[in-house]
Amino acid sequence: MKLTINQIKGAEPQVSVTYDEMTPEVERVIDLLKGNHLRLTGKSGDETVVISAATILYIESVDDKTFAYTSDKVVQLKYSLAALTEMLNDIRFFRCSKSMILNIDKIERLKSLPSNRIDATMKGGEHILITRTYATELRRRLQGGRGHE
Amino acid sequence: MNKKVSLWERYLTREIGIEFKSCLYFFAILFYYCMYRLVNHTYTADILHMTEMILLCYVIGYAQVYLFHNFDEAWRFGTAEILGFIVCTAVYTVASYLFGWLDHSIGWTIGLLVYIVLLYICVIFIYDTKRKIDDKELNKNLELFQARREADEDEI
Repeated sequence: MKLTINQIKGAEPQVSVTYDEMTPEVERVIDLLKGNHLRLTGKSGDETVVISAATILYIESVDDKTFAYTSDKVVQLKYSLAALTEMLNDIRFFRCSKSMILNIDKIERLKSLPSNRIDATMKGGEHILITRTYATELRRRLQGGRGHE
Repeated sequence: MNKKVSLWERYLTREIGIEFKSCLYFFAILFYYCMYRLVNHTYTADILHMTEMILLCYVIGYAQVYLFHNFDEAWRFGTAEILGFIVCTAVYTVASYLFGWLDHSIGWTIGLLVYIVLLYICVIFIYDTKRKIDDKELNKNLELFQARREADEDEI
C-alpha cells in the first residue's frame, strides 16, 4: 500500500483512501480512521474469537466475569469492566450501571420510567434498565456536542 | 464518570418526593373540604381538620412510596400498585368520616371517595403524559446522537 502525506498550508485536514478492491488491509485502515479499530479477544464456547468494539451491543460483568454481547454471539472477555471502561474511552460506550457498559449506537429506543430511570431497548431486543444516576449522565451525553467528552 | 450519590442524598431525594406528594394531596382534599364548607354556608376552615389532613397525607405519602411502589407514578399496575390505590383511597375516606371533616355526612364522604379516585387517576395520567413527552425528547436526542456519529464517520 502506497502512503502519501502532503502538507498544504491552510488546507483542511482530510484523508482519502483509494483502492481497487476492499481487502482486509484496506478495511483495517478504514476502521482505524473511523475509530472502529478496537478489537477485543475472548472466548465464545470453546472458541477464541476476536470481535470489533463496534459490533458490541453491551458488556456485562457477572460473578467477576465479563461478557460482551453482539447480535449473534456472547463472548467472555479477559478484561475487567474497569479496564474495558478505560479501553472503550469513546463517546458511544456508556457505563449504564455498576456492572454494565452499553453501546449507544446500538440502542433501538429509549423509554422513560418512573423515578427518572430509563429503559433502553437494544437492537437485539434486549432491555437494559438504566438507573437514576446513570440516566442523568445518559441524558447529558445525548444532548452533548460532537466528539469525545 | 458519575459522582457517587450518598445514602443521605438518596434519602433526601425520596423525602422531597414525599413532601411534594403530601402537599399535592393535602391541597386537593382541602379544596373538597372548602367546597363542602361553602355549600353549607360556612366560611371558615377548622384548623384541627387541616392539621389532621396534612398529617394523614404525610403518612399516606410514606405508605405510597415505601409500601405501594409509588403507584401514582407507576407505568405498570401490579398487585402492590392496585392494592395501594384501594388502600389509600379507603384510608382517606374512612379518616374523613371518623375525624368529622364532612360532619359525618355519608353522601359527602362517598363524594370524597369518588373525588380521590379521580384525583389519583389524574395524577397517574399526568405522570404518564410527562413520561411520554420525555420519551419523545429522549428518542429525538438518541436519533440526533446516532446521526451525528454517522456523519462524523462519513466525514472521516
